[in-house]
Order: sequence, then C-alpha cells, then structure tokens
Amino acid sequence: MSAAQLLQLTDVTRSVLLPDDSQLHILNGINLTVTEGDHIAIVGRSGTGKSTLLNILGLLDRPTSGTVAWRGKDASGLSARRAAAARGRDLGFVFQQFNLLPGRTALENVMAPLMYASGRDFWQRRKLASEALDRVGLGSRLDSMPQTLSGGEQQRVAIARALVRRPRVVLADEPTGALDVSTGRAVMELLDAATVDSGAALITITHDANVAALARQQFRLESGLLHPLSLEVA
Amino acid sequence: MNNLAHMATGFVAALLEAWQELRIHKLRVLLSLIGVTIAVASLTTAVAGASMAKQMMTEQLERQGRPALISTYAMDPSGQGIPRSSAEVSQAFAKTSERFNIEYTSMIGRTYGPQASYQGLNAETTVQVVDPSYGPMHRIFAQHGRWLESEDAKNLSPAVVVDKGLFTELGLDKGSLPATIDLKSGGDTVSVTVIGATSTRDMGMGGELWMLPQTYEHWFASSAPLDDVSYVMWVPIEGSEELAFEFARQMRAELPGYMVDSNRQDYLAWGADETLSQLSLVVGGISGIILLLGSLSLLNVAMVTMKQRIREVGIRRSFGATTGRIFFSVMMESVVATAVAGGLGVMISVALVTNPKLINSVLAMGIDDMPGFPVDAALLGMGVSIAVGALTGVLPALVAARVRIVDAIRV
Repeated sequence: MSAAQLLQLTDVTRSVLLPDDSQLHILNGINLTVTEGDHIAIVGRSGTGKSTLLNILGLLDRPTSGTVAWRGKDASGLSARRAAAARGRDLGFVFQQFNLLPGRTALENVMAPLMYASGRDFWQRRKLASEALDRVGLGSRLDSMPQTLSGGEQQRVAIARALVRRPRVVLADEPTGALDVSTGRAVMELLDAATVDSGAALITITHDANVAALARQQFRLESGLLHPLSLEVA
Repeated sequence: MNNLAHMATGFVAALLEAWQELRIHKLRVLLSLIGVTIAVASLTTAVAGASMAKQMMTEQLERQGRPALISTYAMDPSGQGIPRSSAEVSQAFAKTSERFNIEYTSMIGRTYGPQASYQGLNAETTVQVVDPSYGPMHRIFAQHGRWLESEDAKNLSPAVVVDKGLFTELGLDKGSLPATIDLKSGGDTVSVTVIGATSTRDMGMGGELWMLPQTYEHWFASSAPLDDVSYVMWVPIEGSEELAFEFARQMRAELPGYMVDSNRQDYLAWGADETLSQLSLVVGGISGIILLLGSLSLLNVAMVTMKQRIREVGIRRSFGATTGRIFFSVMMESVVATAVAGGLGVMISVALVTNPKLINSVLAMGIDDMPGFPVDAALLGMGVSIAVGALTGVLPALVAARVRIVDAIRV
C-alpha cells in the first residue's frame, strides 16, 4: 500500500514587491511532493528562500503562482479560518530560536497548541502535554521555565509542542541552528525518531549538511529552485 | 451541536488564555489597572453613597410625612388663630375624609414638656396625640414591642409608644416592655404603659411619646389641653393638590365660621430631592473623568505591550489560532483584567460606604439604620469596568489580529 500524499507543490513561485517597485523573485517554480513518513531536508545558503518555502508548506503564506495541494485539495481555496484549522490540526512547527512562550512553564508551552483544539484534546491537554514531554525525556522538567532549561532542552520542549497534536507534517526551520553540534545531532535524532513513531512527515530546512544527511530525501534550494542532493552522514 | 461545542470550547480556552496572560504579567497588569480600580471604586462609591444618602434622607423626610400628605387646620375665630381641638372639628374631619374615601388619616396634637420617669430616671418629652394610622403615614414603626392600635383606647392603663431617645434616657430595654412609667403633665402624674419603642430619634428635641387621642382625652386633657392640633391624611400624589382644595372647601361647609386650610406638607411639595440629584450628578461627573483617564492609561499600556507581544501572536497563529480567536483572546485579557479591577473597586466601595463610623464622620450625623449597599451601584461598577475593558481591548486586539504570521515569527 502506497503512503498517502500530504503536500504537493507544483510550479510554486513567490515574489515580493520591493520599496523601489521592483519585484524580488524568491521562489521560481518549486515542485515537491510530501507523503506520510517522509523525511525531507532542504539545504541552502542564507537568503535563498528556505524560510519562505517553509511558510508556504506550513500554510502560513501563499504562493504568488503555482499550486499547493493539501491532502489532494488545492490549498489556495482554503479560507484563512480553514487554513488555521488545518495548521493547528495537521502541522507542527519547530523553530530555530525555539519560540517558547515566555513566562510559561515547559508544560504550559506544550499545552498551548491544545488550547486551539476541541473535545478530548482540549479537556485533557495537561495529560497529553505531560505525555509529550515524557516522550522527549523531559518528564521531570514539567514546571521548569524556559530560561532555566538548556538550549537542547528548550528545543526538546519545542519538539514536544510540535508533536502534541499528532500532526501529519512537522516543519522544522533550522532546528539545530542555535545548538552546538552534539546537542544539535541529538535533537535531530530525537525529532526523526519521534516523527517516525507518529508516522508524520518531517521537513527540515537547514544550512547544515550533517543535519540534512539524516533525512532520507535531500534537496538544495538555489536560485529559487529545488535540486535533488545525495548526502552521506559524516 | 458540534459547532456549539466548538464555540464553547473556544470561549473557555480564550478565557483561560486571558487569565494565564494576566497571571504571568501580574505586576504590569496590576500597575496598569490601579487607575481603573480607583475610578470604579469612586464611581461606585459616588453612586452608592448618593443612593444611600438619598434613601436615608428620604426616610428622614418621610418621618415628617410620606407623600402626598395633606395637613388640615381648622381655626375657630375665637381661638385667636391657633388651631384648636374639639369634638366638632374631629367629627367634621372624620365625616369629610370618609366622604372622600381616604383610608389613612390621623389627628396630630402636641404638648411640650411633660416629664417621664422610670426607676429614678427622668426625661422631658413631647407628647404627640395621634391615631394608629400616623405610624405608617410617617414611616414610624415599632422596633421593640408594637405600635398603637385602636383597641388600645380601651386599655385601663394608658398605652404609649416612645422613641429611641426617650427609651434610652429612661434606661428601658427590649426585655422590660411593656413597662410602666410615670408621666407628669399639667400637675397630674399618671402611670402609663410603654407598649413599644420606635427606632426614630428626634434630633435635639428630647424624647417623643405617642398616645391615642382617646387616651389623652381621658387622662390628660383636663389638666393640659393640647397646644396645637391638625389633621393629616395620606393620599395618592396625583391629584392631591386638587383634593386638598376640595377637602378644605367641604370642611368649611361642615364647620360654619371656622377658617379651614388644607395643603400639602410632605417634602416633595418643597423640592427637597432636587439638591441630592444635583450632588449625584456632580460626583458622578468627576468619577467619569477619573474613569476616562484610567482607561486612557490602560489603553496606552496595552498598546505598548502588544508591540512587544507580536512574536507570541505569530507563534499562536502557527498553532492554528484564527484572527478571530486572537482578537477575542486579546480583548478578553483586557475584559478579564478590568473585571477583576472593577470587582476590587466595588469591594473597596462597599467597605467604605457600609462603614458606619466613616459615614457618620463624613455626614456628621448619627445614623442608626444603615441602609444596605445598593445592588444597582455594584452592578453599575462591574458593568462600567467590563465596558472599559472591552473598549480599551479593541485597539490592541485589532493590532494583534492584523499581524502577518510570517513577519511576526521572525520578530
């Protein structure tokens, strides 16, 4: 049985209008298919449009042209409300700077996405968040504030938060960018294992070839286009 | 049903988020809400204080007669203009008031200076000779024992009711009723029975004592005729002026040769309530200005804070928060905060306004019956604070809702 298709980008372009009225073309025709269980890495230098691509994949931004299909349906027709619902339900984000909510404990941070859920997920948010933190090895740090956690621990909280609603796709934007090499590797292995366990697809945006090498599919983003890569784990 | 459950969950979640936000930033919230708390406390205090003062004043004024109270004097030409009591006048008043179908009527006769004595204690008193209806007509009720009844006229021991001043001066207490005291009037001393005591106190006039006309006539009239006599009746306000005119006309017909005058004697007839309304307006206006300043300061803090929370908004949007939900959550933060501040303000107001020592020192008068805190003032305070929260929450909520997710996350 073939894996279900989750995201499909066809000839996606993205340009922005600059203050001098000229167009800056960031993406020039991206084609990408993401299916269940995929682990895709996209590498590229700074300013090549990696984050822009991730925003489009995460339904945070819309392409200038081309189509984004979400589970077989054109996502351009999705209302902002439905896009938000899909984002909350099926997409998880891991950011370079962790983006933990200040002033809230690790547990409250992981509970935060469940505040936008309904039914069992909302009412049992404390239990679900505790379990998610337990899975990333932070079961004993539930009440710790972000500033008392190390960088690796903060990113693990962010991973638990991204996975707590059991998303179909996890989008990681430079997840090891703020970590040292060994911590970064440990975090990536955890992220990979957690998504494999849950069956979610993982798309990692990185400029680190070693991180990208952990993925089963690799692409290089250059001149607004994706080029297949083949990297070996160092 | 599913949509309803989803909306209910969203509402609960927004409230929880708002509360969490306030808990985390409690110091900032506390500082920004001081103005609102003070404003709500002063507004509520002004409204409640005015309402309570009005109630107290109304009760005091109604002791002179509840509106509409028509007073009738009948002066016989030989009495040199002093209203006199006579069976003829009383009969004419009874007959005329019956003709007009007036339920509440009373004679009022006074004599000043009789001495009341009880177990070695003496007190000067004013004796008021009244019918049983006098009590309800003047908002006078027995706090201990009971008020006068028609049947008391048949008592072998004259029944009297005393006010709080006389009750205290004679050293009486609740358990001593009915108590037999001596009343010396016009050279005669008569033992009378105190069957009740009112909560009223006649300011600076000594104690008051009430008895029925029949009682006075039987025991005291021969030695101490009443100093002045009038007749009062309690009627609906509407049409009372016309009634007074017509009543006097018919009384004159019943009493040829007498000069009869009937007119309104209650406080509404001389506009005592207008001063209080103006005072309420002035205090309310000042509180409104304080509230406006407090709201502006709250809005200012909220706007500055929102600029610092753009990234947080972006993160929440990435979790699936819709613009509507962000708007509602931010506004709820403001509403919950001002509701808490308003609640605190109302509590401060209740503590101030219901403190008898404070009220007595401010009003410089002894108030025995503290009226309860007006519920409408508390509701107004809460309503105003929630409205301020909603109004000052709209702008930051709009800013938060218009944030572009992509930009917000990068901040």
